[in-house]
Amino acid sequence: MLPEIGHFALILSLIAAVLQVVLPSVGMLRGSVALMQLSRPLLWMQFFWIAVSFALLMNAFMMDDFSVKYVANNSNTQLPDMFKVSAVWGAHEGSLLLWALILSAWSVAVSIFSKRLPTQVLNHILIILGLISIGFLLFLLLTSNPFERLDVVPTQGRELNPLLQDFGLIIHPPMLYMGYVGMAVPFAFVLSSLIRGQLDSTWLRWSRPWTLVAWAFLTFGIVLGSWWAYYELGWGGWWFWDPVENASFMPWLVATALVHSLSVSEKRGAFKHWTVLLAISGFSLSLLGTFLVRSGILTSVHSFAVDPERGLFILIFLMIVVGGSLGLYARRASLMRSGNQFAPLSRESVLLINNILLVAATLVVFLGTMYPLLFASLGLGKISVGAPYFDFMFVIVMIPAVLVMAIGAFLRWKKDSVDRVTDVIIHTAFVAFTITLITYLSLDNIAVVLAVFLFVWVVLHSLLLLAQRLIRKNNINGAFLGMLLAHIGIAVFLLGATVTTQYGVEKDIKMSPNETVEIEGYSFTFKGVDDFKGQNYTGHKGVIEVAYQGGKIATLEPEKRQYVTGMPMTEAAIDPSFYRDIYVALGESLGEGVWSLRLYYKPLIRWIWLGGLFIAFGALLAAFDRRYCIKVKAKS
Amino acid sequence: MSLYLWFTLMLVVSALWLIWFLCRPLKTSALNLEKSNIVLGRQKQAELEQDLQSDLIDKQVFEQAKDEIVQTLSIEIKQTSDTIDSTQQSVPIWLIALIVVFLFGASLFVYRSLTSQSITAQNVATMQTLQAQKPPTLAQSIVSIKKRLKEKPDDAKAWRILGLALFESDEISQSLEAYERSYQLAPKNVEMLVEYASTLATSQNNQFTGRVSTLVREALEINANSSDALYLAGWVALSVQQFDLTQKLWQKALSLLPENQPERVILQRMLNELSQTQNEDIQPAQQHQVTLNITLSKRLHQAEFQNHYLMIYVKAMRGRPMPIAIVKIKVKDFAGVVTLTDENSVMSTRKLSQSSKVLAVVRLSKSGSAIRQVGDIEAVSQVIDVRDDPTVELKL
Repeated sequence: MLPEIGHFALILSLIAAVLQVVLPSVGMLRGSVALMQLSRPLLWMQFFWIAVSFALLMNAFMMDDFSVKYVANNSNTQLPDMFKVSAVWGAHEGSLLLWALILSAWSVAVSIFSKRLPTQVLNHILIILGLISIGFLLFLLLTSNPFERLDVVPTQGRELNPLLQDFGLIIHPPMLYMGYVGMAVPFAFVLSSLIRGQLDSTWLRWSRPWTLVAWAFLTFGIVLGSWWAYYELGWGGWWFWDPVENASFMPWLVATALVHSLSVSEKRGAFKHWTVLLAISGFSLSLLGTFLVRSGILTSVHSFAVDPERGLFILIFLMIVVGGSLGLYARRASLMRSGNQFAPLSRESVLLINNILLVAATLVVFLGTMYPLLFASLGLGKISVGAPYFDFMFVIVMIPAVLVMAIGAFLRWKKDSVDRVTDVIIHTAFVAFTITLITYLSLDNIAVVLAVFLFVWVVLHSLLLLAQRLIRKNNINGAFLGMLLAHIGIAVFLLGATVTTQYGVEKDIKMSPNETVEIEGYSFTFKGVDDFKGQNYTGHKGVIEVAYQGGKIATLEPEKRQYVTGMPMTEAAIDPSFYRDIYVALGESLGEGVWSLRLYYKPLIRWIWLGGLFIAFGALLAAFDRRYCIKVKAKS
Repeated sequence: MSLYLWFTLMLVVSALWLIWFLCRPLKTSALNLEKSNIVLGRQKQAELEQDLQSDLIDKQVFEQAKDEIVQTLSIEIKQTSDTIDSTQQSVPIWLIALIVVFLFGASLFVYRSLTSQSITAQNVATMQTLQAQKPPTLAQSIVSIKKRLKEKPDDAKAWRILGLALFESDEISQSLEAYERSYQLAPKNVEMLVEYASTLATSQNNQFTGRVSTLVREALEINANSSDALYLAGWVALSVQQFDLTQKLWQKALSLLPENQPERVILQRMLNELSQTQNEDIQPAQQHQVTLNITLSKRLHQAEFQNHYLMIYVKAMRGRPMPIAIVKIKVKDFAGVVTLTDENSVMSTRKLSQSSKVLAVVRLSKSGSAIRQVGDIEAVSQVIDVRDDPTVELKL
């Protein structure tokens, strides 16, 4: 009975969402405050019933209720409890329910923490969020009901994809969804302003902290995904330009541009056109990502379903959202003719250049992801766009973006002088070149030398900015510190990614017991393989002793697991440190105790995720800046 | 408490929640858009002054920026002049009643429309009863489905489920009858066609010929992208030794299976072995046999395993994963020794005697399915040569 209650709770949340759209709209048309104010209670009701539904689905997993098709397909009695929880969002239907829950949670947060917004504006925003909720709840109920019963109840369920039986996967999807769905909030702010015909300061000021929080979660989600792929997939890579990775990266790039564009629109009243378009694109790309994953167009570790019906639903939804919002944008274009001028050398100009570069990077990724799909759908055969394209094109676009990023923070608003800027640039460039020259003399890799230059360039500029403010005893607020942290994060990521790509060593070898192999001064001694049994798998565990300069530093135990369904899995063993990772993955048995092994030396790889964390924390710091917490009193 | 009582409770809670807020509206912020923009305009001016102090704006353009803030504010105030006049009047009773009726009516209507007829509240109760007696027996399911079919003999879905349940109970001929009824009522159901074909093949000692291939073809005509139908079509092609076609069909089935489906691993393995076998020459041979002495552990002699199946077969050392010759027998009927001969060969085109290096396998299966299932136990011999008429010892 509980699954039926869960299903009904989902229907109640849909009805609440419909009422949340209809009643306040009627209230606005008739000028009835009592109906207008219902948007918040109806939203809370919607959230409550989705939460009930989610809790009941989780309960079905915990109780091994295999009469529920979704549970039977993704869990079994041997699955550890921790993974029964994550199995709730381990496949299509549950992950969509999580999506709906997070969307309603975001909406509730907006309704509670937007007390500085006039009620009328807030109501408009909640109506838009309600409309998006209706779309997703209909999608759930019509094509992806997680509570569907089986006609014949199996005594045992199937297996949750072993790839997903990992701690990283417990937190990666919720974080990523927080980011994806969070992009709905700036979208709702923009759309409500377009509908009202008032693209004003209120919209710009109060949508910025929400955008920053969504961007922070998106960053966290992507970083966690990259970290998980690194240690779980057993290939030692941290980014594969997988189409679904790209689908999450595109909204991130656009959100990055949006965060910067919003700052100009908010402070200087410029770029309103651009800001509106970025907000629409950010959410549209989030939906596109969903379409790519759910339609079954793409095949990757992320693909949940091969279901054209679901794909068609999302496609129609995407067309309504994109078409509707762009139509509204065209209709209201006259409102955005802002006359606020700025000189070619100004902070606004640099931010505009950066925005263009970020959008160009998005287009590079978009083209590389969509081109093979278009090519195939036109019946022109199969082609694949691989990492070399993305690496080359992306680097070309991002190098100038990083160079400009550091300078931008130094420039004045509206207008600056060449003399003043040149002074700063020459000094920092001199130091950066000197350090790079020293690096060049000891290294022979041009990519690393370039990365060192960019790293020094950005960090130096950031520290100089901080020093300037401290000396002048200027206001140092959350937004400023957040910006510095995020920019340094980019530099840290850049250096980590370049060094690990250029100086990382990978060896696929076969090893006999007690055989030793040396990589970059580290000696790996293979001690053999033991059999072992886990809760829902059996496996082989290799033992490898790692020594450096004669001293043992770690014993690594990579695993090769065989899950009950027969699905094999590789669990790499890693000795992490700030400067390098030692990574070992167990391959196949070659007989007589000989095994194939993959040994990796990964310098500075942790810097990649450290940089990502800097960016995310920087965004959060900026989101909680004092300016966004000041109460706006009605009296004034 | 019955399901609809729960639904009523949920609806009442929702209705009370709404009525509460309709009668006692939330306080709306006294802040209107105009005031908000004025406050923000002032705030922006203060921030601009801070920017000046922080040397973030040139003194010459400071005044211009300040004017721009004022101009922007005046435009914003102009735009907000046409805001709606709102009234604090309470909502009339009839409207409250209408909202509550809508809440009840719409929720129940959507629920009724979305849930199929076979899964009504009554059936949920039946399902619960069955679930309470874990594990549910197939016999109970068959009885309840037959009961339903007496009331609704034209329910194609129920006939199909009956066919499936009877197949699981090893009542193959009855299962085929049930599938035939389902086929007569709804011949376009791909899932049914696939199951029917599969059951028919089982009844023909895994021969994928005759009606089996017709049913598979019909399934593919309806849905050319059914991975199950493609999988069976592969077996049909294999039975007439069309290896290339088998490979194509299985590859297509593989491409259609989602990444997290465990069947992918099995299908991939079969494809690998198929491609290895394609170049193997099948030599004609004299009549040979393989004798298997199988010892079951004490645990498997317990009552709970008596109705499980022993799938005893030989398969090629390399190449196709499906059995060359097989015997399926219930544990309770098992005497300890089985001799596999050409009579037990799965395909007429490939007899046991035509094989050389093989592996002998015994698998304990609850379902008796041809494909290894979760929970099956298996023992595999060393490589043996059929031409030696070997005797193999296996322990399970």
